[in-house]
Amino acid sequence: MIASLRPTLLFPVTRTSTEANRTGSWRFVRPVYRFKTAPCSAACPAGIDIPTVEMLASRGQLYDAWAHICRENPFPAVCGRVCFHPCENACNRAELDASIAINALERYIGDAGLMAHSPLAAPEVAPLQRRVAIVGAGPAGLAAGYFLTQLGIAAEIFESSEEPGGVLRWGIPSYRLPKSVLAAEIARIEKAGVGIHCGRAITPDALNELAARYDAVLVGAGLAATLRLNISGEASIVDGLAFLRDVQTGSAPVVSGEVAVIGGGNTAIDVARTLLRQGARPTIVYRRRRQDMPAFGHEIAAAEAEGVRIVELMAPVSVAADGDGVRLEVQPMTAAEVGSDGRVRAVPAKQPPQTLRFNRVFSGIGAEVAEPWHRPGDEADTIRLSHCVIRCAPHAMGYIGDPVTAENSVAHAIGSGKQAAIALHALFTGGPEAVLPAVERCRVGPGPALSLEIYLNGERSHRTSRMVTFADINTDYFSRAARCVIPALAPAAAAAGFQEAVTTLRPREALAEAARCFNCGICNDCDNCRIFCPEQTILVDAGGRRSVDLDYCKGCGICTVECPRCAMDMEEESA
Amino acid sequence: MRQVLEGSHAISEAVRLAKVQVVAGYPITPQTHIIEAISQYCADGSLKARFIPVESEHSSMAAVVGAAATGVRTFTATSSHGLALMHEMLHWASAARLPIVMGEVNRALGPGWNIWTDQSDSLSQRDTGWIQLYCEDAQDALDTTLIAFRLAETVNLPAMVVIDAFYVSHTFEPVDVPDQETVDRFLPPLAPRFRIDVDHPQALYPMVGPAFFMEMRRSIQEGMEAAGPAFDAIAGEFESVFGRRYSAVETVGCEDADLVLVTTGSVTSTARIIIARQREQGKRVGLCKIKQFRPFPAEVIRAVLGPVPRIAVIDRNVSFGSGGIFAREIQSALCPLEKRPAVYSYIAGLGGRDITPETITEVLRLAEETPMPAAESGWVGLNPDVKP
Amino acid sequence: MSEPINADRGLTYPGNLGCPGCGASIAINHALKGLGEKTVLVIPASCFAIMAGPYPMTALKVPILHTAFATAAVTAAGVRAGLDMQGDNETTVVAWAGDGGTFDIGIQSLSGAAERNDDIIFVCYDNEAYMNTGVQRSSATPYGTRTTTTPGTGWKRTRKKNIMEIMAAHRIPYAATANIAFPDDFIRKFTKARETRGGTRFIHVFSSCPTGWGVASSLAIKIARLATRTNIFPLYEIENGTDWTLNMEGDLPVGDYLGLQGRFRHLSPEDLEQIQREVEANLALIQERVAATRVRRAHLKLEA
Repeated sequence: MIASLRPTLLFPVTRTSTEANRTGSWRFVRPVYRFKTAPCSAACPAGIDIPTVEMLASRGQLYDAWAHICRENPFPAVCGRVCFHPCENACNRAELDASIAINALERYIGDAGLMAHSPLAAPEVAPLQRRVAIVGAGPAGLAAGYFLTQLGIAAEIFESSEEPGGVLRWGIPSYRLPKSVLAAEIARIEKAGVGIHCGRAITPDALNELAARYDAVLVGAGLAATLRLNISGEASIVDGLAFLRDVQTGSAPVVSGEVAVIGGGNTAIDVARTLLRQGARPTIVYRRRRQDMPAFGHEIAAAEAEGVRIVELMAPVSVAADGDGVRLEVQPMTAAEVGSDGRVRAVPAKQPPQTLRFNRVFSGIGAEVAEPWHRPGDEADTIRLSHCVIRCAPHAMGYIGDPVTAENSVAHAIGSGKQAAIALHALFTGGPEAVLPAVERCRVGPGPALSLEIYLNGERSHRTSRMVTFADINTDYFSRAARCVIPALAPAAAAAGFQEAVTTLRPREALAEAARCFNCGICNDCDNCRIFCPEQTILVDAGGRRSVDLDYCKGCGICTVECPRCAMDMEEESA
Repeated sequence: MRQVLEGSHAISEAVRLAKVQVVAGYPITPQTHIIEAISQYCADGSLKARFIPVESEHSSMAAVVGAAATGVRTFTATSSHGLALMHEMLHWASAARLPIVMGEVNRALGPGWNIWTDQSDSLSQRDTGWIQLYCEDAQDALDTTLIAFRLAETVNLPAMVVIDAFYVSHTFEPVDVPDQETVDRFLPPLAPRFRIDVDHPQALYPMVGPAFFMEMRRSIQEGMEAAGPAFDAIAGEFESVFGRRYSAVETVGCEDADLVLVTTGSVTSTARIIIARQREQGKRVGLCKIKQFRPFPAEVIRAVLGPVPRIAVIDRNVSFGSGGIFAREIQSALCPLEKRPAVYSYIAGLGGRDITPETITEVLRLAEETPMPAAESGWVGLNPDVKP
Repeated sequence: MSEPINADRGLTYPGNLGCPGCGASIAINHALKGLGEKTVLVIPASCFAIMAGPYPMTALKVPILHTAFATAAVTAAGVRAGLDMQGDNETTVVAWAGDGGTFDIGIQSLSGAAERNDDIIFVCYDNEAYMNTGVQRSSATPYGTRTTTTPGTGWKRTRKKNIMEIMAAHRIPYAATANIAFPDDFIRKFTKARETRGGTRFIHVFSSCPTGWGVASSLAIKIARLATRTNIFPLYEIENGTDWTLNMEGDLPVGDYLGLQGRFRHLSPEDLEQIQREVEANLALIQERVAATRVRRAHLKLEA
């Protein structure tokens, strides 16, 4: 009865949630996930997505890291050994402590791929019913074959030598690149569907025949002929490239005692270090200053550590046989002004020539095409791209590799093969007008590196070309950490034989090194945006992709500031 | 069982019998005996309750607000400055619709320091949304405390049980203390209409904007309006269980009276004797005791006092700038009547000054002899020797 | 994109009324990760009293009891008593107050609860002034601050009250500082506070207020991180009032923190030097206590 006297109650107790407050309406700027280009990957001639590779590696996902490299480069184990790694020079981390050891990590990941006998991924596109013949199984030709296959185009490579690999096989000594590593990575490309026909020297007639039988021909015959020094007595100089090749085939004579190597590039270094391993005492004779040598710095350092002597500012004048040995007359030089090529010129010093005596003198001064048709002519209907040249008519004909790239390196050769493959795919599917836009579209950042993944509209195609700078990095999230030490044989031990001079990282070191990477411009799931969002508006989908719930985001911008790696931007709301 | 108890302990006994679960308390004369006894019950286990010895009365009320919000029966007690310090939380408790019961011992507020009885403390809290029930003696205090729990829990408003300092709080009287079983029959366990519940999370007492606030205040008013009939019904049930009858307004001889004296609290006991004596002398005087100040029983007042020509009100309180608070409330209640009694208002007994039989006789005489009531309240019992 | 599978917003709802970049919003998100759903929050007058939602809405998925300004600790104690009397010993009762409701008007009831060692967690989310009323100074406002009641050349020239020492003096089982910019440490401390039952636990949370401090909302976390990295707000824990642990040591000068904020813009290089000295002295005191704790523990070990 008394209960019936209870009044109704209306007092402050909640019945619903604040979800009804669409606080997104307060916002005048909005956060967006906008992935950007890491400077390392823009600097990589092969356009590898390095920040993603290191992210995967740091999580121990070595297979995924390896597969990610292979999207842009089928030679991780090779490049992990021989690449001149311009990526590391571009690395933002250098401004905090030291650049990431990207090259050593690539080798570590590449070797993991080899040890697992992982096959290359099958193409994700439908076959195009086109066939391309490639002349030359060097890095450019092999890469072109691989990328064509990835684009659904059948590729057949014709190689004059008995073994594929080109400069990788014949030019680079085994102590830098064990042939088993090269063979395994080439075999993997072959397994991916690229036909490789060795011992098939191509003549101009054969080239025409190929042009008739195939939808396109790519010429990637490399630079097979050593440049001449044009000095008297040149006949008594041993061709360094030929020497390196003979060492590979086992037909090189054993040289001992004092020997000279003329030149300052990588070939000169390779020749000198190979001679050292044969028991000789090599001296590199270079006409400019040491710092002007085009060889890679780490190669020069390794050569010197092993005992190679370098004599700078000495220009060879003449060579003459002298009993068992050779007499090399050199002119002392002096540094002059910067030349048209941007390098400091060397001019004769006011000193008389000197005569040096050696058991043997080798050349190591660079190379040129062996046949005139190995480089493009000046025909009409020719598209000249950064890494290759494509002639559209009468037959589609392309030129790839060292003869057409501004810089000659394995990475550039791979980039060249990729660019040609993309250009041909664009040509086949869209005609000559489609080629330039296609190449333009798949630049990594400002270019000239290209990405096949971008061409195929993969994840990377959504990244902007804006390059992440050190100033973009929130260094609050990174404390200084020492760069890994890349293990190597002691110089004396290395010089004693053809065993690989540089060895690989231990797993823990590799993981730690990969974890040092800023992962510039990409999301690595650090979750800062979600952890710090005052409104809890960051949503994650099944694929791990994040988005902002704009119904509630107030536009404070914390997510963007706290993103350590510049994967987010704030942009103004349109009215 | 009949025991000799002081008024304070009568309240403490009622709290034990009500099986209160959480009690907060802070000492202040003359209230302290109430919480001392309850502390003892908690310590000896005769009351299964948590006693929170807080650091201020403000915290006392906050503590019981917190506890009551979980759905348990709560109690606290205070007096004077303590009640004034609680003021903010009194509003909070009522708008929170929590059925808290508080023992309040009327005491003057300083300065100067004065620990003696005076209703200014409780009447200053008249607008806080608390039910206020005034008690005449120790038995009344015990019984009213039990009724207060029932009433508060019926209308979801807090209730104050008010006794006079010393005259009731410290005066030992025989009290009929009921047994637990009987009390349980009258006062079932609290069945809260809402409570904090982690399984059904809600926020209690968030910010309320102008769009909802008035309706919520109206709901408190409706609760107060319901409290009048609820008190009557509960008092009826109380009588059927315990045999003692309480009402919002109690009258003695008002039906035929020319003059009715209105009192509250312990003064009533003195007045009963004076009124009885004067009636024996043939005077047509009556007595009206107001027990329930909030909600103010205006309708009953109109029915009881409306036909009476003259009414004399003794107020042991003053609203400065207005006058005796009960008198003003009565005048306001009678206002709607076409023919209104003359209401004579007297201030007496402030700060514990004794309201003697002579004081009451003087009040009756003044009301009889003054043709028209003054606008201002008269002050009775002033000492002419106390000068500025 | 596909449907979000992780729309997990923890124990809060979006749509609260906090300013963009509000540190207290971040603090509650972190805190509830450590506290869990069996939590009752008692919230006195504060920004959060508004943010948590006007009637009929709530921003949290745990029960809230809003209460008057001065009463957070004791109301929580009352809730605790009520739950205990009903046999609920599992639910954690948390008072969630601003610096005004802790350092100033709330300190009496806080001290009372701490002295009684009531089984509650008291959290002070400290944004160093009365922000809800428009940035007036509190006793948590640090030396050098301009507020609307310490304006112009009348900037605050007294130091911030050391609430941690006050709480330590009560010898409560657990007291800690936490900073929204260090979520792992933050959540660990709330978890520890939850697990340390039977007494009063106190957590002093550094909670930036972009609106009141003259800082871009996007820098709310950055500024908070700097507070700890400059040792202005060291992260430490005190067990039983006597055992001190320092969680991390800052490495940056105070100018890095002060210079980013409008409220300190007027300070001269000499003022910064004075603040730097003060901060170093304060850190040294903490380190002394940490060292003393180690020595005492070593002695106890030896005796054992």
